[in-house]
Amino acid sequence: MAEKGRLVDLCLFAGKLMVTYGAETYRAEDIMNRMAVAGGLKNVHSFVTTTGIFLSGVQDNGDNLMQMIRIVDRFQDLNKVAEVNQLSRDFVMGRIDEVEANQQLLKISAARMNYPLWLIYIASGVAGGAFSYLVGNTKFDMIPAAMGGLMSTLFLVLFQHYLHAKFFSEYLASFFGSITALTLVHSGYGTSVDQVIIGTIIPLVPGIPLTNSVRDLMNGDLISGLARGAEAALTALSIAAGVATAVSLFLP
Amino acid sequence: MWELLICFMATVAFAIIFNTPSRLLWRIGLIGVLAWTIYSSIQDINVSFIAAAAVAAFSASLMSYGLSRHHRVPVTTFAIPGIIPLVPGGKAYETMLAFVEENYIEGLTQGAATLLHAGAIAGGVVFALSIFSIGRGVDQRYET
Repeated sequence: MAEKGRLVDLCLFAGKLMVTYGAETYRAEDIMNRMAVAGGLKNVHSFVTTTGIFLSGVQDNGDNLMQMIRIVDRFQDLNKVAEVNQLSRDFVMGRIDEVEANQQLLKISAARMNYPLWLIYIASGVAGGAFSYLVGNTKFDMIPAAMGGLMSTLFLVLFQHYLHAKFFSEYLASFFGSITALTLVHSGYGTSVDQVIIGTIIPLVPGIPLTNSVRDLMNGDLISGLARGAEAALTALSIAAGVATAVSLFLP
Repeated sequence: MWELLICFMATVAFAIIFNTPSRLLWRIGLIGVLAWTIYSSIQDINVSFIAAAAVAAFSASLMSYGLSRHHRVPVTTFAIPGIIPLVPGGKAYETMLAFVEENYIEGLTQGAATLLHAGAIAGGVVFALSIFSIGRGVDQRYET
């Protein structure tokens, strides 16, 4: 009965990787449709939302196939998106077959980030320092802002690893990052509290959900657009609440 | 010149945070520099920051589309880090601070400015998207 079942599994796996690591909805739907058609299914329809994927099709003998898969976690890894995109292109062109595509997808999904963790910490420090210069034009604030940005990413990774609660760990990360920034400024390193805190929280900004939400909404994928928009808004609110807690502790 | 170097560093750092392929890093940095140059030089001739953000986001995503066609990678690889220098982080912080200090009028003013700024960036990105998808819109999405 399920001669095309493994093909549907393959398509769903590719779509899951795409959505999990930050592709837009229309791209995930597009590669799933193309792969299913190239593998011999007819009347293919896919429906991708931010939290689950559906794919249906008709086999040669007239049987219907319909499967769904649930997406629980979402991360930021644009390299995996690019690799799955390339793999789907190879599969549609016929350069690799089903078994090989499945093996490659397993390899992609198990692969580590292509930068080591310390480089990501350093990058968020650099991003914090550079952004605070772009906003405020003072060189003295760059070093404390870099320290703050580094600390907030450090805390984010730490809390995410131990708590597994996305929004709460973002709240805690921005809280401890702001505490670091405020302590540095009050002990004399840096001139303006505002610019140091802006640099501190900028590595936490939800860039991928925010951009993808707008793209999805304008593309007509209203459900996933709204879901991603809600995710981005909740992240932004968690960050703002963290900073607000830290600032109001230091206000009196 | 110093400012452009800083902007390049910020964009590349964000590209590393988002884990983009390493062979594309310096091109992403150039997109960020382009966006920032347009954003600040348009503001220098007395145009409002909203129009400046829209034009800068439009040019950055246009360049991202061109590069993504050339390198055969998804356009988000270029577009997401490329528009990061335009993000209204400062205005969002001012909004939050005004509300914390119970200065609600100032908070609403800054909040409206933040929303308009973010909306302008989104508008620029979407306008570039629609230019690149003319002629392949409907029949590609509903192909069976």
